Amino acid sequence: MKKLKIKTGDLVPFAALIVIFAFFAITSNGKIFSGYNLMLLLDQSMVTILLGLGMLFVVSQGSIDLSVGVNLALSGVVGTYVANIVGGWAFIPVCLIVGLVVGVFNGVMVARFKVNSFMLTISMLIGVRGIVNYIQEGLMKATGYGSQYLPESMLFLGNSTTRLIIFIVVLAIMAYLFEFTKLGRYGKAIGENETAAKNVGVPIKTMKILAFAISGLLAGLGGVFSVAKLGSTNQTMGVFQEMQTAMAVFLGGVLVTGGASAKIYKVVLGSISITLIVNGLAVIGKAESHISQSVEGIILLIILFITILVNNGGVQRFLHRKKNQELQ
Amino acid sequence: MAENVLEIRGLSKSFGSTRANIGIDFTLQKGEIHGLIGENGSGKSTLISQIAGLYAPDSGEMRLFSESYAPRSPLEANESRVSMVVQELGVVSSLPAGVNVYLGRTKLFSKFGLVSIKKLNQAANDEFEKWDLPKVGLHELADGMLIENRKMIELARAMSVDPEVLILDEITQSLSYNNRNKLYELLKKFKAMERSAIVITHDVEELIQITDRITVLRDGEVAGVLESANTTADEVKQLMVGREISGEYYRSDNEPDYDETAPVLTVNGVSVAGEIEDVSFEVHKGEILGFCGISDSGIHAIGKAVYGLEKLSAGEVLLNGKPLKSPTKALASNMAYVPKDRDNDALMMQASIWENLALPSTTELTGKMCFISPGKLRSTAQSVAEKMTVKCRDIYQPMSDLSGGNKQKVNFGRWLAKDIKLLILDCPTRGVDVGVKAYLYSLMKEAKKNGIATILISDELTEVLGMSDRLCVMKNGKLVTIIPRGDGFTEHSLIKVMV
Repeated sequence: MKKLKIKTGDLVPFAALIVIFAFFAITSNGKIFSGYNLMLLLDQSMVTILLGLGMLFVVSQGSIDLSVGVNLALSGVVGTYVANIVGGWAFIPVCLIVGLVVGVFNGVMVARFKVNSFMLTISMLIGVRGIVNYIQEGLMKATGYGSQYLPESMLFLGNSTTRLIIFIVVLAIMAYLFEFTKLGRYGKAIGENETAAKNVGVPIKTMKILAFAISGLLAGLGGVFSVAKLGSTNQTMGVFQEMQTAMAVFLGGVLVTGGASAKIYKVVLGSISITLIVNGLAVIGKAESHISQSVEGIILLIILFITILVNNGGVQRFLHRKKNQELQ
Repeated sequence: MAENVLEIRGLSKSFGSTRANIGIDFTLQKGEIHGLIGENGSGKSTLISQIAGLYAPDSGEMRLFSESYAPRSPLEANESRVSMVVQELGVVSSLPAGVNVYLGRTKLFSKFGLVSIKKLNQAANDEFEKWDLPKVGLHELADGMLIENRKMIELARAMSVDPEVLILDEITQSLSYNNRNKLYELLKKFKAMERSAIVITHDVEELIQITDRITVLRDGEVAGVLESANTTADEVKQLMVGREISGEYYRSDNEPDYDETAPVLTVNGVSVAGEIEDVSFEVHKGEILGFCGISDSGIHAIGKAVYGLEKLSAGEVLLNGKPLKSPTKALASNMAYVPKDRDNDALMMQASIWENLALPSTTELTGKMCFISPGKLRSTAQSVAEKMTVKCRDIYQPMSDLSGGNKQKVNFGRWLAKDIKLLILDCPTRGVDVGVKAYLYSLMKEAKKNGIATILISDELTEVLGMSDRLCVMKNGKLVTIIPRGDGFTEHSLIKVMV
């Protein structure tokens, strides 16, 4: 008996990453492989991966969390604000708590009040952005600056190696939670068939709240990373980040319906792929051109199309038909 | 000699390397109800699917009223007035019942491209009345309806093409006692109109009762054609399996046999709004407590209520004296629940077999620091699959690949990997063949011997009569009476109480 079962669909995120790498390696004359750029690439993808890990818990259950971008902004802004008043030590805990509170709120709304997660988190995306803008506007009036600076005691987070260590630890914990505990297993069961999971005795509500809580917590950590990287908050923090994260998750081959297709490595690969597209366009000097966003869009579409084709068995069907034609 | 409506000669059909039908000869006479029986995978569904235009045969020919007949789609078959009710649920959940009756034919009611739902529902209603089918809310979405009602919609759809040949694939399995009778009446009326029907069912006794002739299939070939009037259930079963069936199917003893001093579960005056009212009973160690009743009697709600899946409006469920409120608590208290609708309510169809098998044992396999070893999950699943002889390539195959009987083995067997105290079974043998059925009964007997208390809910009277120590009869959501195993255990006496 074969031990390892590899489905063609599982290979797509790898293939996509390799193709994108190859494309930019050629167009940039290998510049993309420079040590500096690889480090930059990793640094750029860290936030997307972190948010993606949280979103994975939610998506595996068949829900979605589109509030991660705005949650990141709120956590970062409030965390920095409090840290500047009570001291640098408060920065990380406050960011995480704010993120967690938003996450738990989402979870309770979805699990207890049966609000559709897509509609709920879109409302959050709009509503919470208003709060973030309100805070930042207030700061603008009070201090004259729209952005606030990180207290000096926390500047050590600006070192990308420090962040990398935190990132690796968190990645390991999340991978453990997702692949080797009830949280992950039950979550996937909910995504596969919620009624069946409920009939077996899976605590649906608890699992849903926990998933959104983790997603919120990681968005809070995303806030820490974003502020630390620049040393300050800014007006566009987290804007469009939820879309990039969702894209990374689905690009990696996790199905929107959730279930067994949800895997940690898919999020990592998907996030790197999507960051690489932006990074690669910058390296080959096309980032500033007006069409760069269109190029991004087109590349994403192509990859998605291939993913769907492979997952639906389109390729297998095509090969099968070919074979049949030959036989006839 | 009656006129042949449908004649099939040398029909063969293969799927890849599987030869589903091999040189099948089959005739259907005018005004005949023709039974088709065989084990799961013997080729019944393939045969009727070709008659109904779902698949084209590889070779052989079909003649309908002596003319060549080769439908390319179910709609084409409908035009030749051949219609079928499929085994799997064939309604579109997101459409109202009325529209489902005329699915694909809404043009009949359209003017300038607009469909008159009023006329459509009128026609659907006429169809229900003409055949005296139980009423279904025609404006309601099919989603969320009981399986039984959805089957009625499908039946109305099949009847609405005014068929000369009607094909019913395992439809009685989904129906409760009273609606089965309605179906038998429908078939009688149909036969009186000189029309013909092909009926598939796993229930041998039923088949002999309602049909004129029976064709038995085995491994894709015709094993024999029998006159229903001159055959016995044993003869049919022997032909199906190809060997002598030995031993008892149900229990052989005729007296209750359990530990009366050890109640495992006590249900005290439980009510569920709109389902059941003031139901009280006890299940004891090693007892099989049967539940039967006609549709809307509330028997299926009993299972859900006991497992904590229904909100109780009154009363309480006590397990070993402690109240039980949620399915999560039930799972943790070593209870097990096997729902009636396995595809939708019990199994994860897109997930692998091992994931389905391991799901209820997740807590038992959780170690230190909440660690669950995937290897342990798989080995547990593997051993259940082997013990239950689930027919599959390997346990990594998706659940949806399995046949009905094997799906049920997974649905049932995964609980036996655990040390359970109470087993709730809701129609455990729905849509499985005689072989698997006998196996599931033997498992129930084994569970009983091991002191597991079982609540057996079933639409099949012979099943609850054959297995139960005591039998609860329900009517309109109320528990009417509890009959102990013994002389009162006859279908006749039950029906008197039930209806």
